[in-house]
Amino acid sequence: MKKYILTLAFSLLWIAFAQASDPAFIAAMQKQLTAKKTITNYEQSQTVTNGFLRIADASDSEWLPYYYAALLKTEAAFRFDIDKDKSLDEALELVKKADKIAPGNSEITALNGYILMGKISLDPAGRGQSMSPQAMQLFGKAINLDRENPRAVSLMSQMELGMAEFFGTGPEKACGMARMSLDLYKKEEAKITDEYLLPTWGKMQADQVASKCN
Amino acid sequence: MNPRLLLFITFILLQTQAFAQATIQGKVLDEKGLPLPGANILIKGSYDGATSEEDGSYQFETDVKGSQVLVFKFVGFKTQELAITLDHNSLEIRQVKLVEEITEMNSVTISAGAMEASDEKKAVVLRPLDIVTTSGAMGDIVGALQTLPGTSTVGNDGRLFVRGGDASEVGIYIDGLRVGNAYGSSTSNVPTRTRFNPNIFKGTFFSTGGYSAEYGQALSSALSLNTKDHSLRTQGDLSIMSVGGGYAHTLANDTQSISLTGNYFDLKPYQKLIKQDFDWERAPYGWDVELSAQQKLKKGGLVKVLARTEAGGMKLWQVQPGEDGRGMFVNLHNKYSYAQSNWRNSYDNGWSLFGGISVSSNKDDLIIDTTPIERKNLLSHAKFTGIKDFSDRISMKVGAEYFIHNYSEQLKTENQQRSFEEGEAYFFTEWDWYLSKKLVLRGGLRAGNSQLADQSWIDPRVSLAYQVSVFGQVSIASGQFHQLPIENFRVIDPTIGNSKAKHLILNYLYQKEGVMFRAETFYKSYDDLIRFEGTPTYPTLLRNAGSGYARGIDFFLRDRQNIKNTDYWISYSFVDSKRSYNQYDTEVQPDFAPKHNFSLVVKHFIPALNSQLGTTFSFNDGYTFTDPNESGEMNSKTKSYQSLSLSWSYLPKPNLIIHFAVQNVLGRENVFGYSYARQPNGQGVFESLPTGQPAPRFLFLGIFLTLSKDKTANNLNNL
Repeated sequence: MKKYILTLAFSLLWIAFAQASDPAFIAAMQKQLTAKKTITNYEQSQTVTNGFLRIADASDSEWLPYYYAALLKTEAAFRFDIDKDKSLDEALELVKKADKIAPGNSEITALNGYILMGKISLDPAGRGQSMSPQAMQLFGKAINLDRENPRAVSLMSQMELGMAEFFGTGPEKACGMARMSLDLYKKEEAKITDEYLLPTWGKMQADQVASKCN
Repeated sequence: MNPRLLLFITFILLQTQAFAQATIQGKVLDEKGLPLPGANILIKGSYDGATSEEDGSYQFETDVKGSQVLVFKFVGFKTQELAITLDHNSLEIRQVKLVEEITEMNSVTISAGAMEASDEKKAVVLRPLDIVTTSGAMGDIVGALQTLPGTSTVGNDGRLFVRGGDASEVGIYIDGLRVGNAYGSSTSNVPTRTRFNPNIFKGTFFSTGGYSAEYGQALSSALSLNTKDHSLRTQGDLSIMSVGGGYAHTLANDTQSISLTGNYFDLKPYQKLIKQDFDWERAPYGWDVELSAQQKLKKGGLVKVLARTEAGGMKLWQVQPGEDGRGMFVNLHNKYSYAQSNWRNSYDNGWSLFGGISVSSNKDDLIIDTTPIERKNLLSHAKFTGIKDFSDRISMKVGAEYFIHNYSEQLKTENQQRSFEEGEAYFFTEWDWYLSKKLVLRGGLRAGNSQLADQSWIDPRVSLAYQVSVFGQVSIASGQFHQLPIENFRVIDPTIGNSKAKHLILNYLYQKEGVMFRAETFYKSYDDLIRFEGTPTYPTLLRNAGSGYARGIDFFLRDRQNIKNTDYWISYSFVDSKRSYNQYDTEVQPDFAPKHNFSLVVKHFIPALNSQLGTTFSFNDGYTFTDPNESGEMNSKTKSYQSLSLSWSYLPKPNLIIHFAVQNVLGRENVFGYSYARQPNGQGVFESLPTGQPAPRFLFLGIFLTLSKDKTANNLNNL
């Protein structure tokens, strides 16, 4: 009898575990994450974005597929010769969907701010004044939600650097934040396993800010 | 059961499934039958799918079996579903045509008569920031709008005059609710300005004609100001100016924000330093306190409250033509309060609802020579609207409004009083119908009833817009507009009814990244305008007997692309307007409708100095007036009006702005008209005096400091 109960308990545990990280979901996500690394043109970016959106459709309680689709649309706006505003607006829509599934998520909040940074870069004179504080607020919020999120800190350091350059003040604050984010990236690297699906991007940008500090 | 056996069976099953993959292939096209690359094709509930290629084709393998749904998705297109049955064989899917969704971003918008200031929408003429940084406007919303086509600068009045219409023909709204006495109280020939600070608004919609059925009681123009939604940050804003100062404190969290603002101004110290042409006994002064609050609701939706109270006054002597001495003494004291609250929410079923209520209360205590007069105006407005999107092609707006309007004037010493009480009800509906992305039709009806005038009326409005090229579009708007006479007239004779106008507008709009060109021609007819006997101060025999017209063309060019760090716009308006109104027996060109109006605004940013330099040049060809020494009415015209303004905004630190501005740098002696003695002098000549400016120039210096934990915040962030 004991044995049966134990088996039952284990199988229940196994089922619960399976739901938390459905192997099919992980496999599908990993396939797209691998493909994401080899993107060189907009068509490939679109293909991978669509791949994430298919996963989002099928697994409607997961925020990560929407998150990565939004990230890809944002990166596409920075990298490729497309209608940048449109791509960023679409990214914002996807972030909203991710946020509905996982409200108060630090990564989603930071990405939201990153998209606004993209919008600002398209029309700094017109949008800077109204959107910079929004982006800063989102980065601040993302840091408060998760003090270990290197992207939130790194993105904020980029905003700080831009501000310091504009007003001709020293980059000390930006530098401090960039260094802090690099430490957090190191911590994050230690956690990364084969099944790691959470965001890991952004170290290069942090390096760029840090390279201006000597 | 043996768990190992179970695992084995599962493994075998999985294997067979894997061997039995089916290939699905097909092609996705757009409405025109052209290949549509980038579309997402998937089997509902599975991860299987593909993206369409350059030639619209797609192909993928799946091990899903049985009856399934194939979904075609693409941002900006309507999703399509197709039932399929999957077995071991490959499946060739028929061609699928995706239909593009019509959205605000990809479709044509009705631009006839409309000019917007917004960060969000397209077809934007100004951005909110432009209103405070336009040189010469001195932070006044209407001052900035006077650089736009279709407006005339009337320097001795300061209010907004649109296309041959007088200032009362512009309806002013905050969050869709009417504002009574939106301009500061003033006396004749002393220019006024808008009471509301531009910092509290996130967007402005300004129409010079042919506007939506949502707006009424305005013959010429609707100006709709939208307040900010929700402040992001707790901060304090301090302003120290050459004419006064103020402090605003904002408290904010994720769902609510509240701001309390207090300002005080007094022109006395300034006028002691700089000589004035007006004979002031007491320079204008005033204070205001304002509260604004926003609350996001749990189930979506937003509630806003705006409340403001202010008081101020002035005393001056106005020289009278043909008389000796300092002339007429005017002592004005004003108290004003405005409060409104509104709620809005959008629902998943396509409905968006809005409800709001506002109250404006104005009290003027006036002493003219020795006669004390008291004027009270109380306007309440309640409004409810619903918008229903039936599809991306058809949307409907319906609304109901009710106004209570009480007005009284009193001669205090003689204990004489007259007043009126009015109730007005309105219903409106408006339908937008997109025939395609390139063509939209809008039709609306507005029905109104006035208890006091005992009148009911219906105003139809129609407009359409058609995209003629990638960057260009044409729109036409037409409609009928009713407006009840101003309070001063209604209180004398409450039975006088509506004046009426009809608009026809043809607009061409071209916009490409950073460049906007707009040309508009219009015809406006007036009927049932108020005429009277006597003078505007003592009118008698009021009647709806006047008529007239205004016609013209205006041009607008804005370019913030082609000259580095520079943004400029040019407006030119030609207005030919004549009307029989007020005391005039014949059709005359009104004194507020100059024929040629021009303005140029330039803003240049100098990164090395952290500074923005601005200049505005305004011109019109002069104002008409009646010279009683000649025959006829409105028989003369002043010399042209010209004003050049300069401004310099300096940002030494992220949270500090220093702003210096000079209005009418060249000190040109502009004349807005002449007043004449009532009786001729000994030589039989009517003596005259020019109506001029308070001073040749106006200088302004302001320091704006933002205090916040976040050091990068500054006053401009509020926009």
